[in-house]
Parts: sequence; structure tokens; C-alpha cells
Amino acid sequence: MTDNSKSRLRLLLGQLNPLGLPLRQKIGVFGLAFLIALPLLVSLPVVGQFVVMILPASSWELGLYNVAAALFFAMFAMSWDAVSGYTGEISFGHGLFFAVGGYTSAMLNMGHGLSPWVSVLGGVLLAAVAGVMIGVPALRVEGPYLSLVTLVAPLILLQLFIFMSDIFGGEQGLSNPENLVGLGFVSNYFLALGLFVAVFALLWALTRSNTGSILTAIREDEDAVSAAGLSKAKFKIFAFVLSGAIGGLAGAVYVHTPVGSPTPSELMSVIVNVEVIIAAVLGGMGTIVGAAVGGLFVAMLPDYLNLVEFTVPVIGKSISEMSFFLFAIVTLFLLNIFPGGVLRWGIALGRRATGRDGGKEGMAADGGQSPEDTGTNPVAQTMERYQEYYDNMFGGDDE
Amino acid sequence: MSADTTAEEAATATVDDEISPDDGILAVDGLRKEFGGLVAVDDLSFAVQEQEILGFIGPNGAGKSTTFNCVTGTYPPTAGTVWYKGEEVTGTPPHEMVKRGMARTFQSFAPLEDRSVLKNVALSMMNDNLVTMDGLLGEFHEEARAICERVGLGDRLHQTPAELPHAGMLRLELGRALGTDPDLLLVDEPFAGLSGPEVESVSDLLLELRDEGMTLVVVDHNMRGLLQLIDRAIVINFGSLLAEGSPDEITNNPEVQEAYLGGGLE
Repeated sequence: MTDNSKSRLRLLLGQLNPLGLPLRQKIGVFGLAFLIALPLLVSLPVVGQFVVMILPASSWELGLYNVAAALFFAMFAMSWDAVSGYTGEISFGHGLFFAVGGYTSAMLNMGHGLSPWVSVLGGVLLAAVAGVMIGVPALRVEGPYLSLVTLVAPLILLQLFIFMSDIFGGEQGLSNPENLVGLGFVSNYFLALGLFVAVFALLWALTRSNTGSILTAIREDEDAVSAAGLSKAKFKIFAFVLSGAIGGLAGAVYVHTPVGSPTPSELMSVIVNVEVIIAAVLGGMGTIVGAAVGGLFVAMLPDYLNLVEFTVPVIGKSISEMSFFLFAIVTLFLLNIFPGGVLRWGIALGRRATGRDGGKEGMAADGGQSPEDTGTNPVAQTMERYQEYYDNMFGGDDE
Repeated sequence: MSADTTAEEAATATVDDEISPDDGILAVDGLRKEFGGLVAVDDLSFAVQEQEILGFIGPNGAGKSTTFNCVTGTYPPTAGTVWYKGEEVTGTPPHEMVKRGMARTFQSFAPLEDRSVLKNVALSMMNDNLVTMDGLLGEFHEEARAICERVGLGDRLHQTPAELPHAGMLRLELGRALGTDPDLLLVDEPFAGLSGPEVESVSDLLLELRDEGMTLVVVDHNMRGLLQLIDRAIVINFGSLLAEGSPDEITNNPEVQEAYLGGGLE
């Protein structure tokens, strides 16, 4: 190790010191610590009572299952954010990757007797290949056209699953493959949490390095990326492969837990595809953190609504019966008031409250863009991008 | 009339001579670009010498931008050959040309609106490794800051492009191009919309870059501010070479005057 790389390492480690972190990151570390301590907290006397109350289920066992399922969903949302949130190429069918990962691993395990620890790797590999298959066309078809491709691809896969239902189990899906860590509530919870932390750390570091800046630059202006001597093709394919592999990993591990199984409705339905987008955009598109938080929220909100035993007087329906309807209403409302995502809004609010200037924190916050020095948020950028394609489609002028 | 004849001689000499790879840092032979039935660039040949400032001049629609889009790889040419530093680079994609040391600025300005001036320049300095620790510590910013100061944006590091005045946008274009550490810099219409003192300060910067060993090609449709700056000029019209020579030879060339209807050469 040279002196230079030693000092760099020290700098990097110094940035990981929780006391030196900015407030928003302290909150994140605290949240993570809470998730880690959660199974322990429920067994404590008084505190446990309180913790069970705030869990999205009636008992702590089911609560841990639901949180574990939400952690998987948050991984799905992060995998979407890594490609669509950063490059602005919106995928409307990310379930393709979850399904390829989940089904591959399940079939390798059940059909060929591979240990789930090995079959998961097979799922990741094939999902990465699926990433290439979507990423390479993405170099030629862009914007709305690519979105159409991503929308249709999982539908084709679903039709394949249906007409070859003797192999893929049709719309019912496959039976449950072997679990990675048995049926334990706590062990499965930690499996989900461990994978969540690993995926988050990987994507966070990648998007905060130069790679993140380059991906957001692709979203903003592809010509500027070329003019900087950077190959936009290479980075786009990389983003798709990375996203596919991580989506596939989450999907594969998910089916090997008691909370998930390889079925179209859990991995690749239109609802899953749309919810993933809602989660990432709601949390804050192009931030990874936003997708993680948004994913947890979107996955757990219906669970919480299911717990409400209140019957709306006039129509005579209980809240839990309408949980998905209410969920949709709430997200629509939130998307309207926080177009840049809850995370960006929260950070801006926090900075105003603490009276600090974002520019003084030194490091680039969101892969080269911090919420305050952006005149345009990613959603607006992507809209602009799509507008351009539509203009060109109807004979607009390039120059 | 002697000036006219020398200019014509110079022009014809280049048209007749075959351009070979080693005629200059950039050599273009028989470049042709058609869009459908329209011939935008018609059998154009020229060479750029190392460390010169070449003016690339022509009326609007003469094919200047198309020529440079072909040279920098934005469009593949219909026919013809481009050599850069003695190597054939015809049809090489834009980012590869940048890596080989050819940078350009955009006449229409293409900064990244979503980030600061400093981060715009920093993007140009990144190498394209997919997985990197670089940037996690922000170490590019020191060099990027130096470039910003050089192009006169030292006091606007944290502003977004939208906050810059017109001249600032041009400076940012130059900064982003310099960030790629080029040997040849194509500058597209640098003086459009600049005031007298601004023209002078940008000219000084370009001269300074040349003195440090850079080769510059300055594209413009008129010669205001250009004559003091350039060593040599190439004039094109309707996609083909019209004249070539020193600034004096160009201004006295009757064909050039004709092309501009006498009005363009202030």
C-alpha cells in the first residue's frame, strides 16, 4: 500500500464515523440500528409491547415476516432505481428480473436438486443475462420506446409461463422451493436484513462514486457524456446488468424464504412492476436511499391498513377491505405534494431547520447532485427527456 | 491583384494535392456527407498543423458544423478519410475521439443543467472505469477547480449553468472541453453574442492555450474578432473549399467577398 492509498483509506474510514456524519445520515444509521435490534427489542418487557404495537402485524412473529417481505421489496425498488432512477431510462417491467432470478433459482433447486445457496447464484447469473438482453436494445431504442420494450418483455415471459404451465406452473406459479435458513422468524428476518444492507451498501457506494455522476449525466444529456470522453453505451449496459443482477438476487433469495414464493403475482405482475416505480419515485428517484425507504413504506402501508378495524360508516366497508384502494390514494397524494420524492423534501427541510448550507458538506450527496443545487429533479428531467422523444416522433426539429 | 492570385493559388494547391495522414495533426481527405439527397459536405480536404490556430469559416449553412460532426464522430461521413495524429479515425465514435485527445465545444451549449459548474468540469476529468472508488472522496474537485479558474469561472464554481450569463456558458463549454485534456480543441462559434472585452479575454485564453502546445480550430461564420486570433483560415461554401490562406489573403479574396455578398467581413 502506498502512502497515498493509505491516507485515502483513512479518509474513507473517517467518513464512516457515525459522529461525524451529517444529520440525515445519522438518522439513516439510527434506522438501520433499529432494524438490527428489532428481534431483540420485541423480547424485552415493556419496550417489547411498544415495538409489537408499531410492527405491521398483530403478533411479533408475523411482524418480522412482514418487515422481511418489505425488505425484499425495498431491494426490488433499489434495483429499479439503480438503472431507471439514475439513467432516466424508465423500466416498466422490472419484474422480469425478479422473476428470472426467482424462477431460475427455484427450478434449479427443485428440478436439479441444487442447494439453494448455489441455485441463487444461477438465478443472479441468468437475471444478469436478462439485463444484457434489455440493456443492449436500450442503446438503439430509447425513452418511450424502451419503456414499451420493458413493458412487453415480462408479459411475454408470463405468457410463456402460462402456455408451458407444466414446467412453470402457469399463473399459480411453482410450489415453494427449499428455504435457505428454514422457517425461523428471526433467522429469515436477518437473512432479509443482511441482504438488504449488502445491496444497499453496494449501490450506495457505486452511485456516490464517479459512476453515479456519469449515470445521472446520461439522464441529463447523453451528448455531454460523449463529449466528456465517456462511453454512454458501456455505462447504460452496465446499469442494466447491475440492476438485473441485483433484482435477480433479491428475487432468488426471496423465493427461498417463507415470506415469498415463485409466483407471477409476487414477482412479475403489473402491480409489482408499478409499485416498484411508485416506491422509488415516492422515496426520491435517483438516490438509492429514497428507493430503500420508499420500498419499505410502500410494502408495509397495506399491512398497516389491514390492521385498522374501522368501518367507514356510509359505505359500510372496513378499512382493511379497502387497503389497496387507500394505498393507491395515499401514494397519489404523496406523489403530488413531493414530486422530487420524500427524501429530497426531508433533506431540504432538515437543512433549513438546522440552518446549514448543503454546499459545506463537501461530498457529493446523490452521485454528484445534492438536492439543493439542482434546479431540476430527476422526475422533471425524465419527463423532459420523454418530451423530446415525442417531439421527434411527430417531426420535431433536432437542431 | 497579386494578393488575390496567391490566395487562389493556395486554394487550388490544396484542392489538387492529395492529403496524406501525416500532413498535420488532423488531416481530412475527400470528406463527403449526404443527408438524403442533400450534399452538406462535398469532397472537402484540409489539414490542421500542430499548434496553429486555424479559422474555419463559411457563411451560415456552408457545412462547417457538419464537417466537424463528421470529424468528431457524431455522424459517420458518407465518403472520405479522417486521420488524427497520423492514425485513421474515420467514423470513430465521439467519446473515443475525446479519449484520443480531440475535444470540442458546442455552439448551442450543452452543459449538465442539474449540477454545478465545478461538477460539470469534473465530469470531463473522469475516466470511464465502471467500478471505482474515485469520487467517493471528491478528489477530482481540486483539478476541476483549477480549470474553472483558468477559464474565468473561479467565482462561480457552485452556480448551476442556468445562473451563468452568456459569456459564462461559453467559458463553461471551454472548461468542460479542457477537462478532457485535449491536444486539439475545436471551438464552435466562440464569439457569437460576446461583447468586445469578452471577445478579447476569450481570445487571450485561446492564445495562451496555443502557447502551451494546444492546436485550435475555431469555427465561425464571420471574421469579427477572429482575424487577430488566427494564423490561417479555411473558407468553405456550399460544402466545399472556397479559399485557404492567411487572414489577409482571405479578406482580399474576391470569391470570399462574393460568398459573403460583401457584407460579412466586417
